[in-house]
Amino acid sequence: MATRGFRRALGDLLGGLLPLSVRDLRRELDDRIRKIPTRLNEFGYDPWGLCPATVRETVLPALALYKYYFRVETHDIERVPPGRALLIANHAGQLPFDAAMIALAMLLEAEPPRLVRGMAEYWVSELPGVSVYAARAGAASGTPDTCREMLEAGECVLVFPEGVRGMNKLYKERYELQRFGTGFMRLALEAQTPIVPVAVIGSEEQNPGFANFERLGRLLGMPAFPITATFPLLGPLGILPMPVKYHVYFGEPLHFQGSPTDDDAIIDEKVETVKTAIEKLFERGLRERHGVFSG
Amino acid sequence: MEKVLITGISGGQGRLLARRLLDSFEVCGVDRVAWEGRPKNVAVHQVDLRKRKFEDVFRTEQPTAVVHMGMVRHFRVSEQVRHDVNVRGTKQLLDHCVHYGIQKLVMISSSYVYGAAADNPFYMDEDSPLGATRSYPEMRDLVEVDTLTSAFIWKYPHIRTAVLRPVNVLGYYVHSMIGEYLRQRRVPTVMGFDPMMQFIHEEDVSEAIALTLQHGLQGVFNVVGPGAVPVSVAIREAGSTAWPMPEPLMRPLIDRLFRWGMVPYPAGAMDYIKYPVTLSGKRFVDATGFRPLFGLEEIFHSVRR
Repeated sequence: MATRGFRRALGDLLGGLLPLSVRDLRRELDDRIRKIPTRLNEFGYDPWGLCPATVRETVLPALALYKYYFRVETHDIERVPPGRALLIANHAGQLPFDAAMIALAMLLEAEPPRLVRGMAEYWVSELPGVSVYAARAGAASGTPDTCREMLEAGECVLVFPEGVRGMNKLYKERYELQRFGTGFMRLALEAQTPIVPVAVIGSEEQNPGFANFERLGRLLGMPAFPITATFPLLGPLGILPMPVKYHVYFGEPLHFQGSPTDDDAIIDEKVETVKTAIEKLFERGLRERHGVFSG
Repeated sequence: MEKVLITGISGGQGRLLARRLLDSFEVCGVDRVAWEGRPKNVAVHQVDLRKRKFEDVFRTEQPTAVVHMGMVRHFRVSEQVRHDVNVRGTKQLLDHCVHYGIQKLVMISSSYVYGAAADNPFYMDEDSPLGATRSYPEMRDLVEVDTLTSAFIWKYPHIRTAVLRPVNVLGYYVHSMIGEYLRQRRVPTVMGFDPMMQFIHEEDVSEAIALTLQHGLQGVFNVVGPGAVPVSVAIREAGSTAWPMPEPLMRPLIDRLFRWGMVPYPAGAMDYIKYPVTLSGKRFVDATGFRPLFGLEEIFHSVRR
């Protein structure tokens, strides 16, 4: 008890020393988190292990990136419907900063604020530390059953159908969508969920890749081994992104009808509609921006 | 009046169940140990499930229903004995149920049979594969008992057989591995892992069994309590201190200590504090209208040191 009190006092004291801007950020964050509609139990956790209190404690660095590093601008975020929704976005930039920025956009700019659920790769839950933080921040091992349940509970789920293919795409392939998986479309049909196409402008240039040695990566236990201007030249730090300007465009929600067990050919047609919608957003975003860094 | 035979009646859960059922059933039971201070109208036979005398109980008591929870779920006995009691004992019991005209059978399995794995979906239903032995081979007898009884449902459809798989059971009376684990002063956890865990109170388990008997359920059912919390919260709420250990150190250590008899669970059990095993209790709720009476706080309070 005493240590807890002491820790709190120390926290308050240190809080007083924080620069005003950080305190403002924290206040804004608290304000937003309070408004999130979630179903928490008496210990502050939702059924999948999400914990807004942990998010509050740890999100500040990401928030600083959002405001001052990537200077994220969102467009038409009000198009995300209330209740269940699938956000389908492009994936790029060697590290998944795009996921964090979309999630923060939904937390800071959407009305009411939402905590976006992410579908993580299986190996994320095998990484010590990362597994816990991912769960507290709203991610879950990406099994179709879990995703369907989250949608049925009215959650907003973020999916990158490009997966690793997108994250490690080369610079010359920027703003070219890689092959999409079809799982998200089958889920959308099954759970009758509107799909919101999302285009992230900026992430595709944040750490331009010139080559990708997948075999070597696999040997090292990584999903890829990209060669970029700074990686592996500068060591692990070289994988970090440059301060590009982020624009996040939200498209009109798309509603699809049909059977979730249809042939791939029929599902692919619907997936193609989503890809086209994202490509339209790309066109608009690239037309509207002035420079990669100044935006 | 229906007469219920409870195996493992002298255990914590057995006693609670016997008292719970006394209002609406005649109750008798078997166990290897006696039950001191049992209610007068409950007959307890001290027999071994594998022995001939167990069959005599069916003959003399003439029960119409059986609740089978008399299984060895700890590792204080050798693997052979455990396998023998659980698998052979259950096989004997199933045979007796057929020969002596039992109308209802309830077998108490557990959520552990599903196994803990990184790629487990959340809130699994009863059709999920039983993956426990993938990384926890010492569970094979309990998985086999579950499978044996589940197959029995289809072989003898005229016997109303239900397999219940409750989540982690905690309470004042029940002896469960998870209870023992949480009650340690310093609780070893796997550093960097903190999976969601579901809990149910022992009284609610008794209630669930009573409902199963009343409704004459047939099939396999998960029995889920009021909710889930990370294992670290359960440890904190039980009044203990978590001791995170790096896994590469912890696994060989527990492995050794278990072989020397200094730790009550094998290393495979670590997966349950590393990865989630969460169940959907929808099927049981739909069939019986079951609602757990005890909330998470009361559950943790019941094991508070």
